[in-house]
Amino acid sequence: MVSLLLQGLALGVLTGGLYALLASGLSLYFGVMRVVMVAHPAFLFLAAYLTYTVHTTFGVDPFLALPVTVPLFFALGVAVQRLLIARLAPENLAMMSVLLTFGIALTIEGLLGTVYTGSYKSVSMEYATRSLSVGGVHLPYDKIIAFWVAALTLAVLFAVLVKSRFGQALRATIQHREAARLVGVPTERVAGYGFGVGLATAAVGGTVLALITPFFPASHWVWIGKLMAIIVVGGLGSVVGAALAAILLGVVEGLVLVTVDATWATMMFYVFLFLALLVRPQGLFGGRLAHRF
Amino acid sequence: MRIASRGLPLLVAALAIAYPWLVPNYYLVYAGALTVMYAAMSTSWNLLGGFTGYVSLGHSAFFGLGAYGTGLLVVRLGVPWVVALLVSAVLVTVFAVGVGIAAVRVRGASFVIVSIALVSMMNLVVQGWRSLTGGSTGLQVPSPFPGLHRGETHMVFFYLFLALLAVALLCWWHVSRSRFGAGLRAIREDEDKAESLGVPTGAYKVAAFALSALFVALAGGLYAVWFGSLDPIFVFSILIGSYMVLMSLLGGVRHLYGPLLGALIVAPAGEYFLIALGETQIHLTATGLVLVLVVLFMPDGILARLTRRRPGPSIPDETADQRLQKVTP
Repeated sequence: MVSLLLQGLALGVLTGGLYALLASGLSLYFGVMRVVMVAHPAFLFLAAYLTYTVHTTFGVDPFLALPVTVPLFFALGVAVQRLLIARLAPENLAMMSVLLTFGIALTIEGLLGTVYTGSYKSVSMEYATRSLSVGGVHLPYDKIIAFWVAALTLAVLFAVLVKSRFGQALRATIQHREAARLVGVPTERVAGYGFGVGLATAAVGGTVLALITPFFPASHWVWIGKLMAIIVVGGLGSVVGAALAAILLGVVEGLVLVTVDATWATMMFYVFLFLALLVRPQGLFGGRLAHRF
Repeated sequence: MRIASRGLPLLVAALAIAYPWLVPNYYLVYAGALTVMYAAMSTSWNLLGGFTGYVSLGHSAFFGLGAYGTGLLVVRLGVPWVVALLVSAVLVTVFAVGVGIAAVRVRGASFVIVSIALVSMMNLVVQGWRSLTGGSTGLQVPSPFPGLHRGETHMVFFYLFLALLAVALLCWWHVSRSRFGAGLRAIREDEDKAESLGVPTGAYKVAAFALSALFVALAGGLYAVWFGSLDPIFVFSILIGSYMVLMSLLGGVRHLYGPLLGALIVAPAGEYFLIALGETQIHLTATGLVLVLVVLFMPDGILARLTRRRPGPSIPDETADQRLQKVTP
């Protein structure tokens, strides 16, 4: 029993790390534009399918798809913000942006279903099928790789946000748009780049997802629920809150997965979502930013 | 103008009643029944979305629950289908009150998230509870009219959905002229101001949420006995919920006939895509693109374009002082 729980805990932490990466993009979008990007998981699976194509066509390691997908997704993100979201009327931005990105998600799902058909696809590497055993706990290598890729990407993201001049401008835009504009930050352009960075994390996340799980075009709906639960529990707009909530929910999911079953493990996300809304609508770490959304 | 506004609905109603006899085959009766079903559902959605501005992408949860409730009562307990339909609709409404209390605590984007989560949750429950619902293999509901052939059943359900649509339209019209409706509109314009003026915003929002769930659940129950087989992935699909939103937005959420008009455009277009392009996923792309275009270029809908009445300011332009000057000589 103890080793089973340890197994659940360890898997939960590893998965939670990946969730933190997948949710970080959502926090960025919400921060810069106050929009909830429902299409983020659809873009994740677009990246997963692109990785699949690169892997099957050229027979190379799935991570070698990243030099293609990351710049591509950055450009896509900037385009989505500049061409679509920035055009919405500001007074009803919250609702309309959800519908707009929902439409984008449907568009992507339909295209993926048409091009790749509705059947399951997966990318399996020889190194990813083995697992590491530490004191009776089996840790699959693919989950370990996913965790470290996520951790590395998040570390780079934080370094960019904290150290670089662009990161400072981005954080200024998140904290107070008008004030940032007053001191000379080109907030429109920065918001566009913020979306680009968010979608670039989706490119990395998609490649990792392709490695650890089989996928089909409609998979993104499950992830919308999971990721939305994470950012609401963490507090909308708080990148750190989302990361902590991701680990928390990953561990809860892992423990329920080994003790009950997969249905209840997924259900935990929604249970936590509703609990958070009833008890603390601004989320665990959300402050001033979140309470209106 | 007055004759047009009175006469046109009557003409459309007469055409709708005559429709099953005007079309050459039963397929078109089926497509018509489906369209009227979507019209009833989006009109019902508009009780919440149009009045309060709370956009729910998750109303397919109530559609699916109404369908499964009716189906389970008929199959497991042997209840007559009319009773099953009404009982399950009431149960879903009570459930919606519970969900509403939690959901309307948050505004804007969070509310949409909650509504999406609701559908995914119900899908999980119905698929996971294999012993009761049959899980992902679905549920078979016997036909309520064993004496009729398939085409005649389509005809009966065409009229049943038409009746449901009429009730939903009447309900919307009645609410729009009531104090309740005025309160809901106040919530849409400025919720905090409405609250400070004494509108019981929480209770009103929950009531609107439950009311709009009621008719969607009825449509779901009718769908269950009409189709006879329930697939959890279809009835709890987020696509049905997004159809309701798309139809309402396209037609115009501030108009009584907006969702109806949207349904008359979107549902036949969807059926046409299905025939023309086959069972591919490209119809999702079409739906998605139309939604993007509507949100970007026509968020107020077709009817708002046609009537060209700009939505006036929610607060009168003249100040209290100016008004006072008018009444005091």
